[in-house]
Amino acid sequence: MILQGFRQMREAGVLGMNLRNAGYIMARNARSAFPLVDDKVQTKRLAEDFGIPSPKVFFVIENHGSIAGLPAILEHHREFVLKPARGSGGSGIILVRDRKEGGYVTQSGQVIAWEDFAYHIASILSGIFSLEGMEDRAIIESLIHPDPVFTDITYQEGVPDIRVIIYRGVPIMAMVRLPTKASDGKANLHRGAIGAGIDLAGGMTMTAVHQSRIVTRHPDTDHPVGGIPIPHWERILLMAARATEMTGLGYLGADFVLDRDIGPVLLELNARPGLAIQIANQAGLRTRLDKTDEAPADVFANAASRVTWARENLGRGRTGFPPGSNPGPERASIKTP
Amino acid sequence: MRRPALILAAALILLTCLLITYRVAWLGYPLRPLAAGQTWQLFIDVYLTPKEDNPFLALALPTEHTGAMIVDEQVHSGDYAFSMMRDGPNRTGRWTGTNIAGVSELTYRATIHSRPQRDLARQSPLLSPYPAVLDPEDRRLSEETARPWISQAPATRFRAAMALLNGKTPKEMDSETARRWHAIQNRYDRTDAALVLMRASDLPARAVQGLRLAEGIQTSPTRWIEAWVGRSWQNLNPETGEVYPPSTELLPLAVAPTPAVRTSGAEVSAIRWNISRQVISQWKLLYERIVRSPHFLDRFSLLQLPPEFQGTFRILILVPIGALIISALRNVVGLPTFGIFMPLLIALAFRNTGTSYGVILFCGVLLVGYAVRSYLDRLRLLLVPRLSVILTLVIGCFTVLALVGNRLGLREFMAVGLIPFVILTMTIERFFIIIEESGTREAFVTAAGSVAVAVATYGIISWEPLQLTFFVYPELILTVAALQILLGRYTGYRLSELLRFRSLGGTP
Repeated sequence: MILQGFRQMREAGVLGMNLRNAGYIMARNARSAFPLVDDKVQTKRLAEDFGIPSPKVFFVIENHGSIAGLPAILEHHREFVLKPARGSGGSGIILVRDRKEGGYVTQSGQVIAWEDFAYHIASILSGIFSLEGMEDRAIIESLIHPDPVFTDITYQEGVPDIRVIIYRGVPIMAMVRLPTKASDGKANLHRGAIGAGIDLAGGMTMTAVHQSRIVTRHPDTDHPVGGIPIPHWERILLMAARATEMTGLGYLGADFVLDRDIGPVLLELNARPGLAIQIANQAGLRTRLDKTDEAPADVFANAASRVTWARENLGRGRTGFPPGSNPGPERASIKTP
Repeated sequence: MRRPALILAAALILLTCLLITYRVAWLGYPLRPLAAGQTWQLFIDVYLTPKEDNPFLALALPTEHTGAMIVDEQVHSGDYAFSMMRDGPNRTGRWTGTNIAGVSELTYRATIHSRPQRDLARQSPLLSPYPAVLDPEDRRLSEETARPWISQAPATRFRAAMALLNGKTPKEMDSETARRWHAIQNRYDRTDAALVLMRASDLPARAVQGLRLAEGIQTSPTRWIEAWVGRSWQNLNPETGEVYPPSTELLPLAVAPTPAVRTSGAEVSAIRWNISRQVISQWKLLYERIVRSPHFLDRFSLLQLPPEFQGTFRILILVPIGALIISALRNVVGLPTFGIFMPLLIALAFRNTGTSYGVILFCGVLLVGYAVRSYLDRLRLLLVPRLSVILTLVIGCFTVLALVGNRLGLREFMAVGLIPFVILTMTIERFFIIIEESGTREAFVTAAGSVAVAVATYGIISWEPLQLTFFVYPELILTVAALQILLGRYTGYRLSELLRFRSLGGTP
């Protein structure tokens, strides 16, 4: 029964953790390039060099001594985001949208006193949120104003993000992560956010998964999750494709958010992207990885050619769904962006 | 990528095979790690409560004779003075004290190498006198009873006497005489009756207190009768009338009239004779040869290490297997564990505490730690000081447990050792973070996974045959390394992924 299960997964083209680690991450990602993506300060600097928009950095707090001078700097910024440079899974991030007598007002309306805010920064610096518990830096950057396209399927003030997996410069799979009440407004599947697969060809959301169950509607807003066209889809794919040139990583994940004013913005890169995206897309990564390996050499010439090839070959219509699954996005709910 | 790993693994396995073949074929190493063990560890543990000013305890100790060799002895006498006395076939350890308050634990420990195959004393022992309780008339009748076989060979006499003792009528005898004897037999206790009949049959016999050489704890000595049947002693159980088969190993401690335990001015509140098979000594025979061997592999054998370090290496050399299990459980099964080697270190800690106490201890301290950690979160301490507080808490828990354990007499609570506190500290922190980030369920699954791996690993590293095999053939760890390499190249699915990707066709 186990072997049969393995065979069925193999036939569905599912990529397992072991093969991802040994066959793709270890084989394609040089260890020396990891700091480029693990440290958001470095990622942002690189993105800037490559002309990829990312939230504007106001200030980087390097040590405890500079916390005291922060209020003066923040004087000019009503709204901003505080995040650890080496954080993961969205932990340690505070979104500030306003200032009040008592302190800073977060996205959810909570007021954080200055002392608590300073303590949070000190925690970040001491490495509480960092990947290996190493000492960290804190970033103060511009606040994203999410594009209204996902408003109906996002819990309150959460910020949905778009994850693209890029292999050898080719965007091979994508999903949008929608915060829920259960995920505490965080776009993190582990915590209970919804992952909705995106058809690479058309840039439209398809099936969605919530806590490893297939769903068609958002549990909090009850709006259908499928059939929503992602604005600026081509641009997102192009930015994602360039992440490989940027970092030299052969297998990585790129997270974007859609800003209502400036469009897609690169939030962070991930050298060890998770596998749950396969569930959200109801499709195996391995099928697409193999297909990419078989692609003609001229496909890899530049970002544009890679994106074109991906949209033509890795879209929903071409890869198909595993038998028995329900691919139907609900056309009736399509909104005009 | 795949090929060099395979080649390396194959080379390591081949090297192991070559080294083992060399040891077995050229150096004559035993292939089976456990030959029939004949070395025993005797541990006598007495709790003595003084009742008068001069408490005294006399304990029968094993004697060295041709059937048993005492390899080393250790006595713990506390505040008592200890002396040893030989008295005929017996050896007695005597503990004497003056004005001692409270219970004392007195112990005796010996390693006994028994050699049952050796010929025993060639000279026939002397006939012992009739038991004093015997009536002169009964004595005359007993001698008359044994007359029909008195001129036979000792073995025949013994067999006839045993038949009679068991209520039967031996063929040499008429039923009337047998009935008369059985009437006498019923007037005395079974041991005395047996001794009388042996004496009447001219067979030297004596009542003995001692221990069965079988692994376990005995709280009272076994009594039996030794009867000399020409070349050797036969042991018979006077209660059942059975003769112990020769394979039953018995360790005589006290030959009558000396009792196994005697006290004056004191009371024995608890006494235990603990016998365990000591297997490593089996290799001492091998060791004898290895010490003088000119061969390289013999000179660089772990058996050459001083004995106080051998124990450590017996465990250490199995730790790679534990690591292999953890790799398999993580990469093939997909069982989550705290950290990579934490279960291994917990397994090592179980060696001191035992599994059940170990698991309780682990879970207890983890939960207390979690409660405190949740509170600490509100205090907003920085990382390193916060971990230090948890570390202090863990050590505090250990201390309290040890103190409580001491009052309750639970040694396991005190025997936590030095390893586990760091692991528990880190585990508490990880546990808290997993609960915060991935939820309570995930955290408990991880904790359960870690404990399961630790228990399995403990089971493996404390399996003695495996310990010895690896100890004598340390090259086996090359094979373990080979398996680790092969596992490192496993790129198939994990069992847990069947569940995770079931919506993608993982579940049939």
